[in-house]
Formats: sequence, C-alpha cells, structure tokens
Amino acid sequence: MADDVAINVEDVYFTYPDGHDVLRGVSCRLRQGEKVALIGPNGAGKSTFMSLLNGVELPSRGRVSVSGMDVKKDTLTAVRRKVGIVFQDPDDQLFCPTVFDDVAFGPLNLGLPPNEIHARVTESLALVGLTGFEARSSFHLSFGERKRLALAAVLSYQPDILVFDEPSTNMDPLNRRRLISWLQSSERTMLLCTHDLDIALDVCSRCIVLVDGVVVADGPSKEILYDRKLLEANNLELPLALMTHELLHEKLRSGEMDGEHRRIIESFLHAHRHSHGPDQHEHVHLHVHPHGHEHLHDHPHGDHVHHLEYGGHDHAPGVAEDGEAKPGAQIRYVPVSKKK
Amino acid sequence: MPLDIDRFAHVGSPLQRWDPRFKLAALGVLVVAVALIKTIPVAAAALIGAVVLVSLACLPASFVSQGVKWVSLFLLPFLLIMPLSYPGEAAFHILGLPFAWEGFRLAVLIVVKALAIVLFAYAMFGSSRFDISMIALQHLKCPKVIVQMLLFTYRYIFVFLAEMRRMDVAMSARGFVKRADRRTLRVMGDFVGTLLVRSFERTERIYKAMLSKGYQGEFHTLVVFNATSKDLVKAVLILLGAALLFGVDVAGIFNRAELGWY
Amino acid sequence: MHISDGILSGPVLAAGFVGTAVIAGLTLRNMDMEEIPKVSVITAVFFVASLIHVPVGPSSVHLILNGLVGVVLGWRAFPAIMLGVILQAILFGHGGVSVIGANCVMLGGGALAAYGVWQLRHWFSLERKEVIFGALAGGSATLVSGMVLSLALVTTGEQFLVMAGAALAAHIPVMIIEAVVVGAAAGFLAKVRPHILAGNTAPALLGRPSA
Repeated sequence: MADDVAINVEDVYFTYPDGHDVLRGVSCRLRQGEKVALIGPNGAGKSTFMSLLNGVELPSRGRVSVSGMDVKKDTLTAVRRKVGIVFQDPDDQLFCPTVFDDVAFGPLNLGLPPNEIHARVTESLALVGLTGFEARSSFHLSFGERKRLALAAVLSYQPDILVFDEPSTNMDPLNRRRLISWLQSSERTMLLCTHDLDIALDVCSRCIVLVDGVVVADGPSKEILYDRKLLEANNLELPLALMTHELLHEKLRSGEMDGEHRRIIESFLHAHRHSHGPDQHEHVHLHVHPHGHEHLHDHPHGDHVHHLEYGGHDHAPGVAEDGEAKPGAQIRYVPVSKKK
Repeated sequence: MPLDIDRFAHVGSPLQRWDPRFKLAALGVLVVAVALIKTIPVAAAALIGAVVLVSLACLPASFVSQGVKWVSLFLLPFLLIMPLSYPGEAAFHILGLPFAWEGFRLAVLIVVKALAIVLFAYAMFGSSRFDISMIALQHLKCPKVIVQMLLFTYRYIFVFLAEMRRMDVAMSARGFVKRADRRTLRVMGDFVGTLLVRSFERTERIYKAMLSKGYQGEFHTLVVFNATSKDLVKAVLILLGAALLFGVDVAGIFNRAELGWY
Repeated sequence: MHISDGILSGPVLAAGFVGTAVIAGLTLRNMDMEEIPKVSVITAVFFVASLIHVPVGPSSVHLILNGLVGVVLGWRAFPAIMLGVILQAILFGHGGVSVIGANCVMLGGGALAAYGVWQLRHWFSLERKEVIFGALAGGSATLVSGMVLSLALVTTGEQFLVMAGAALAAHIPVMIIEAVVVGAAAGFLAKVRPHILAGNTAPALLGRPSA
C-alpha cells in the first residue's frame, strides 16, 4: 500500500444486530492531506461509515485501515489517536463540567504530562477563537461557541485525520464562513459528511456519494457536485451557489433584457460569489467553459461541467484547468463595489 | 429555581478561598451536629452561625432566598400539624383540636434546624465551582464512580431542561393544556417516554464521542488542591463551633423542646 | 417527595446513610465503563422529568417517577436515585444534606420495589401487560416510599404518629398519578423502543440480579 494513504476502506459491510444492512460493500481510499466530502441522503449509512473510521463500530465484513494500520480491537487506542471525529451535536461531545475539562479530556486519556495538556488546551482554544473560556461551563455557551468548542476538543489530541459530521448545521452565516476558511486553510486529511453541498464545494476537492450503503459515485467535486442528474436521482440537489449561477447565466445568455437589467444580474452574481468564496480579492473572473457553454444550458443534465473559478484563489477546488477561455466565451465581471 | 448553585462561586470570599476539601469536611461535620440538636436556643445559635457563614460567602441574598423560600414552603405545615397532633396534654383547643405547646416547640425546632442546614449547604456548595466541590468530595473518600456520575448528571440536567422546554412549547403550540384528568396524565407519560427515547439515543452518541476521544473507563483531572495552615485554622474553628453546639445541647443547659425524642 | 432536614433523629439519619451505602454498594457492582455515562445521563432525564407538575384539583404536585426509574434501569435504579437525591440536596436544599441517606432509602427502595413488580410481568400473558405492570410498578414505588417515610417518622418518635399517618394518606392521590403516568410511559416505551425497558428477558429466579 502506498505510504500516502490515510484511510483505506475495502469492501466493508455493516449489519446492525437487528439485521438491518447499513453498508453493503463500500470501498474507498483517502490520500494524506486530501479533503473529501461524503454526501448522501438521510439513512444512507454516512454516520455508520464515520463510526468505522476510528473503531467506534467495527465492520461486519471487510477491512478498514488508517495510516496503514488495520482498525481492530488491539489497535483502537492507536487508531483513535490518528482519527478525530467531530460529531454533529456539540452537546453529545461536551460532557465535562468546564471548557477546560472538555478540551483536556482527549489529551488526559493519552496520559500526557500536565504542562503539555495545558499547552494543548490553550492552543486548541486559540485555534477556534475561544481563548480565555477555560473556566466557563459549556452549557452556558451559545450554540456557535459550543460547536467550535467541540472542534477544539478534538483538535487538542492532534489527530492527523479529521472527520466531521455535518460541520455547518445550525451555524449562523458568520460562524459558518469562519469554519469554511478554517477548513480550507488546514493541511489535515479531512472527511466531511454533510448535506451542505456548498461547504463541500468550497472545501473539498473530491466527493463520494453514498446511497443505501453503496458508493454510487466517487470523483472530483467539480464533476459530482455539478451533476444535477446524479444528485437529484439521490435526493440531493445542486449546491445553491451553482443553482443560482446557472439560473442567472441562463438569463444573461437569453439576452432578453435591457442593459440596466443585465447590470443588476451581473452585480448580483458578483455579490453572491462573495458570499461563497474567500473574500480577499477584488476581481472576480467567472470563466465559462468555452465549448460547453451552449450545451450547458440547453442540456442541463449533459456531461459537460460548468467550471467556476474563484478568482485569486489559486488552489481552490473547482478551479477550471482550462481557465484560458476564448475571449468571446469569457464573461468577466468587474466588481460594482469593493469589499468593505 | 436556580439550578446552578455555583453561579456566584467566582465571587472572592473567605469561603471561596478556603480549600474545598477542608470546607466540605468541616461544614459536613457541622451539619451533622446541627441535625442532632434538640433544644431551640442552640438551634437558633446554629441558624445565626449559618447566616454569618452565608454572608461571609458573599452570596447575594436574592439568590439564597430562592432556596430558602422552597424549604419554608415545605416546612410551614409542620407549624400547624405538629401542635395539633402532639400526644399528651393540650394547652387549649382550636376548633375542637387539642393544641400542645410541646408540639409547637418541636415544630419550631424542626424549622429552625432545617433553615440552618439549608444555609450551611449554600455556604458549602455555593462558594466553589460545582465540579471542584465534587473532586474535593472524591478526595474525601467519596467513591470515584459516584463523583463521576454526579458530574455527568449535573452536566446533562441543563441539556434536558432545554429539551423539555422545547417539547413543552411544541405541545402548547398544538393546543395542549394540562388539566386534572386521566388524559393529561397519559400525555405526560408519553411525554416522559419520548424524553427517555431521545435521551437513550443521546447516551449512545455521547458514549461514541467519548470512545473516539480515547475514553477507557478512567476519568482524569488536573485539579490539584493546595492546603495552607489558613485552611486548617478555618476548619478547626468550624469544628470547635460544632463541638460547642453539640456540647451545650447534650449538657442540657437549655430545656429540651420535647419529651421522649432521642 | 422528600424528608426535610431537622425532623429525623440521629439514629434514623445514621440508619439512612448506612442503608444507602450498603444498597448502593450492592447495586453498583459490575458497573462497566459504558454504564457510567449512560446511567448518569438517564438520571439527568429523570431529574428533569421530576420537575414536571401535574394539576390535582386546585393545586398541583410534581412527578416522582421513581417507579419508572426502576422499570427502565433495573438494579441501577438505586444509584440513579441516589445521584438525583444528592443533587437535589446540593442544588435546591430540597431534602437537605443531612437526610440524603434517608431520602435515598425511601425513594430508591421504592424504585427497587417497582423493578420487582415490573419483573412479575413475565409470569403473565396479557394484552398490553407493559401498561398494567408499569402502572403497578409506578403505584407500588410510591406506596413503598410512603411506607418507608412513615416508618422513619414513627421510629424518630411517637409524636410523629399522626404526621406519619397523614403522610401515608397524602400518598394515595400521588400513587394514582404515578401509576397512570408510569403505566403510560412503560406502554409507550414497549411500543416504540422496548429495549430501553429493564429486564426484557425473564429472570431465572425472580429477584436475582440480571443485566
């Protein structure tokens, strides 16, 4: 097995004691540093899949390995050091009397010396912007704070691989935006199980679609998340950002409007992009796949993929490789107003 | 009703600065001594002592009075029932019921002692963070399992209170009104059942989260206590007070409030 | 339902603490690492649920639910009740610190009695027997607790004889309320999540600890 494999799942089956099959032959491989979104409708087996990754559940059949180490009874301690899971509801993970105790829980279980634990708690709290909260009780914090605290409580034992269950649910826009930039900037291997396809689009380069315990698609996010047919067949839909863009492009393309109208749509497209991308740049280039353009709108279910470039963001997922579009096909939006 | 007894534990006070192990041990002995008092003047002295301690703890009166109010509500019937039900000679009759002064004195004794103990409890647990008090109890040989469970339960009381309120709102929003009838009771049964189902699912998730953070059945803490001679002096003072109350009471300097009660 | 500070005599208080220590020691045996968080969290639910008030005529009473604790947690009901009693004493001064022992025996004894009654259902084949035995368990928990309370009062002194009788009488409406609520809750759980209920397999010998 290659050294850079972070997680390897081979033909895994999972059956609950009541006979309910949750996973039926799932295989996938995550490379070191890869950011992958696991999407799928409710009851697809995403949570069970996550639980297998650090041995909270063991597969009924098949094999799961983490950094080359098989997940089984005698490797659990080592595996759980490697894989940190951030669950959906912070109240399920913050079970200690104070913020400090919650963040220190993992390091304490590792048996680290006290000064190291203090250092890790301070560092993890700083990472999520909760410096100085040590003595507070987690139940007196706001939901957004608790959600961040749950992340800090996982970061404190420094796992190489982070697994998130619905990282963005119930978060207000500002907290969600901060989370996205944090996820984008982190170098860790990540698996995001989410219904929030916009966050998948923003953070993950790759996407796995799990339906009824089977992987139905696995590939680059910019292909899967743009595949309306695939998504809709599985109770999912296009990320909102793409839906809006698609809709407005259709409007622009049809050309049945005056200049004023066109300007409004263009500025909306710009502003909307701002709420979905890193916001440190002034220019936005919206490259439309030169030859796919016509097809895209006539056949929205076609094979062609709508490429978006988040200008100024070199390594952003979803960047079109053929950004050098022909002048005629390129629509260039100049910001109406600059970022505050 | 305040559920967070430690809401004012951050307020600096002689009690707050007292090593919780010494505080709980000494005041615990004092509470036992007070519970055994049999004469009203000694009980009154204990109540005064309790008031002094609570004021030393710098707890706001409004905060303490909430707890005291509840206890008083529960105790008031005693003042009525005891004198009227006390066996023996009646001093006079109220509405045909015999009124015995001995019974009244016994009731007063009960009320005074109960109030004193409640105030001592505020001084004990209101002046340290709840989790620190619990860890101090562990140092005082309270079994580890129990301390850990207390901390867990305390943590989740707040989660379920919020959950119960949400369910309550959802029920009222659909027009449910509590009445004194069987249907209300059945609905309450379903309500509690639902709460249980949800919480069982939650316990599964909590356990998973604990496992994935390396839980192996042990709980560790970094809390360390550092006792100084000051802590010891405070404890000795309290213990002397307890001995004094107990001694005066047993010596029978004051008349016992009642007969035949040991 | 609880006994306040200041009423019971020294020996009765001491007996309460000794009894609690002994029963807790027995019922906490073989507690595994999974049960610590689970029993505690369920205890928190009961703690919160016991704050529910139900109207009785012009007044209202709050639920006790110690019978349901027995029906759900089996032998672990006693430690659960103990946690609840300790927290009530610390947080509210409700049944204060000096009577923790007596209150544990009173309420926890009721819970264990309820578990015993609940297990009797394996001997019967009835329609909706979970509702019936849940109600019986709920009612008997209150009855046993009321009896322990009266016993504690009478042992303290004969002056409390009338008080003890009054307390027992006051438990009759509470008993009915508890029976209906616990019966409904047990029936609900049997329908929705039967595995939550304690003692789903018939014990080989009634009264023997079975997981």
